[in-house]
Amino acid sequence: MILDYMVGFTRNTMLKTRRILLGISRSYTATAKRGVLAQDKSKIKEYSPKTTDSHEHRVYVWGFQETGALGLQTNVKKAKERYTEMVHHPTRLQFSNNNEITDVAAGYGFTVYAVNRDDGETLFGSGLNTDSQLGFQVKGNPNDPANLDVIIYPTAIKLPRVQGETDEDMRVKSMSAGRAHLVVLTQNGTIFTLGNNSYGQCGRSIIEEERYSKSALIHRISQEDICGKEDEVVQVECGQDHSMFLTKKGRIYTCGWGADGQTGQGNYHTAGQITLIGGDVEKEKIVRLSCSSDCVLALNEAGDAFGWGNSEYGQLDDSELAETQINIPRALKLTKSIGKIKDVAAGGSFCMALNDQGLVYTWGFGILGFGPFVEQTSKPQHLLPPLFGRNDFSNETTVVSIGCGVFHMGAVNSDGDLFMWGKNRFGHLGLGHKKDQFFPFKAAINGKVTKVAYGVDHTIALCKTFF
Amino acid sequence: MALTKVYDAATVFKHMNGILNVYKPAGMKVKHVRNAILSNICKGLNEMEQRKPRKLQENIRLLGTGTAADHVLHNIGEQTDLSDHLLSTGPRYLPRDLICTTVSSLGDHTSGVLLFGINRGAGQSTSIRKNRPVRVYHLIGHLGIATENNIPDSRVTMRSNHRHVSADRISSLAASMQASHQRKMFELCGVDLQTQEAYELACRGLLRPADDSQPVVYGIKLIHFDRPHFTLELHAINETQEYLATLVHDMALDLRTVAHCSQLRCVRHAHFDVTDSLLRHAWHLPGIIKNLRQQRDILRAHPQLLRQQRVELQATE
Repeated sequence: MILDYMVGFTRNTMLKTRRILLGISRSYTATAKRGVLAQDKSKIKEYSPKTTDSHEHRVYVWGFQETGALGLQTNVKKAKERYTEMVHHPTRLQFSNNNEITDVAAGYGFTVYAVNRDDGETLFGSGLNTDSQLGFQVKGNPNDPANLDVIIYPTAIKLPRVQGETDEDMRVKSMSAGRAHLVVLTQNGTIFTLGNNSYGQCGRSIIEEERYSKSALIHRISQEDICGKEDEVVQVECGQDHSMFLTKKGRIYTCGWGADGQTGQGNYHTAGQITLIGGDVEKEKIVRLSCSSDCVLALNEAGDAFGWGNSEYGQLDDSELAETQINIPRALKLTKSIGKIKDVAAGGSFCMALNDQGLVYTWGFGILGFGPFVEQTSKPQHLLPPLFGRNDFSNETTVVSIGCGVFHMGAVNSDGDLFMWGKNRFGHLGLGHKKDQFFPFKAAINGKVTKVAYGVDHTIALCKTFF
Repeated sequence: MALTKVYDAATVFKHMNGILNVYKPAGMKVKHVRNAILSNICKGLNEMEQRKPRKLQENIRLLGTGTAADHVLHNIGEQTDLSDHLLSTGPRYLPRDLICTTVSSLGDHTSGVLLFGINRGAGQSTSIRKNRPVRVYHLIGHLGIATENNIPDSRVTMRSNHRHVSADRISSLAASMQASHQRKMFELCGVDLQTQEAYELACRGLLRPADDSQPVVYGIKLIHFDRPHFTLELHAINETQEYLATLVHDMALDLRTVAHCSQLRCVRHAHFDVTDSLLRHAWHLPGIIKNLRQQRDILRAHPQLLRQQRVELQATE
């Protein structure tokens, strides 16, 4: 303090003497500038934030919160407060800060996360657990077997292991969730099914009047039992109440509810038995399956689309005498004209396809992205690239992946931006309001989106950070 | 038409109309640039051949007769109005005789293209401003040091390490910010998102803002990275120096470090490029006249600068 004063004092006297000596009353630095020059540089604070994130991904969630599917709440009491039922903006999930999340899947009101952790847990879930789709969860005290119907924060789902199965074997390879069931494929090729099996969607025979609530049953299927020794399951996909298994050789096996032909087994029965399906996909090598409720799209290696299931809105066949339910896989005539297809997605009443030029085609019924007046088209039409961020300033941007939930659609472009459109149930478009969006609009997410899980009333995005 | 050399100040003044593209140096206020330009114009004009003093009317006699100097005084008096003589009126051209308007202002610390509308160019300047053309900036950020107002002429508030920052990290952040700003642009263009009109506008790509209340950024791109400096190319409308400097600072915070904006240069304003702009040593009458002519050619080549019909925007505008 004293020293500062002294310095100030001497400077003042120096100025005065100079003034006297030169007879000029002008100082050559402005007062503001003098303040800058006189700053004590040794006292500048050091800003040292954490620059390395130990986790590669972060997760943003938005949509309906009351089911607990977003996993943002940590306090049951707070979760019951007013104005907490929905989250309009993409919000960073705290759970993803502490855990290395590798994959996400969204069901109807619940979410599952594939996690890499030291303690060997590989699967976490939050949200509705009315049918034990998130396993047998106990509240607080393990001796108190009160099952939680709603889990508000991600909780470990303990997959039962056989002798000698390591943490590495239990890593999740693929997973998918339906209305009230969950199918998980692990690295060693074991499939676990949880939750409701009233239509055989869990791949086991249907038991009359089975109680699913507070059930500890996790069904375990070996991939050999499905597709034999020389093939392996690579992807699982769930519709509303059915499950599908895609193998490395491009074969599809299905089980579950078939009332609209969505199992593709050539009949409308429900089946607890996992069966190989034929039709037009019999000789094809299928590489991708997509389904969110009861209409299924499949994509083969050559870029042709196949479909089966519900076709009430002419999604699969737009001819005059078209059946509204197709129970056997059929090569789509509708998509012949759009070139080689890279990605497909099937929603509740509409379908999407992405071709190799990066154009997004939509058709069916609902909000297709062509403005408020287009509600139904049976011919696939493409959305213009400017809607997905292509303009003079970013003229190489193309769409790289697409996806849809039952009521909404989304596309991720090569810059990692997520564009959403469709019905805005409970704010699950992440645009900050509850109004429907009639054309693709960017969701504000602080990260590069790598994967999106579209639920029926919530959305989960897996992102990479910028720094 | 053959070119003729003009010696007459009045002829030059008569043709001194249009848009002038000046390179504003950093650290100089726009007001000072304007004053310097105007006084240089006047200086140049006053050095040229001036108008002769007005003739007196025959019947007005200034002086009486009968003195010794009578004859001489009569001689002058008959021909000229002495009150209009250069020695009694002072210089013929003063800065206040010229009309000079800025198309849009630049901050004190910003350098680069600054457009003036001179005399009859004032109207053109207004129409250019109302069309809200894009300005392109090169911003040089300095990583590791944060200052109070994010430009170098203030106290340092924070220091930070920046070894983890790399060129692709900055580029990827820039791409994402660009997309977010383009989304913001849509909200600012004044259309209800739930309408057909909004969809049709969205299909056309970039849009101009409806008013000049909010800055809109269209493109952000990293063009050079040399630690601790990085250069961003930025396309914007309605921006201010403070906004751009804060943007650089915010980008640095997202990159988990701090930065301030050490240089801001406006390299293009609509079609008026920095290569055509008048450097300080050329701020004299011949230079200004030549520059006015160049800008006139640019305006002739791009008539949409004055009459913009489209609401969408191209990067080259």
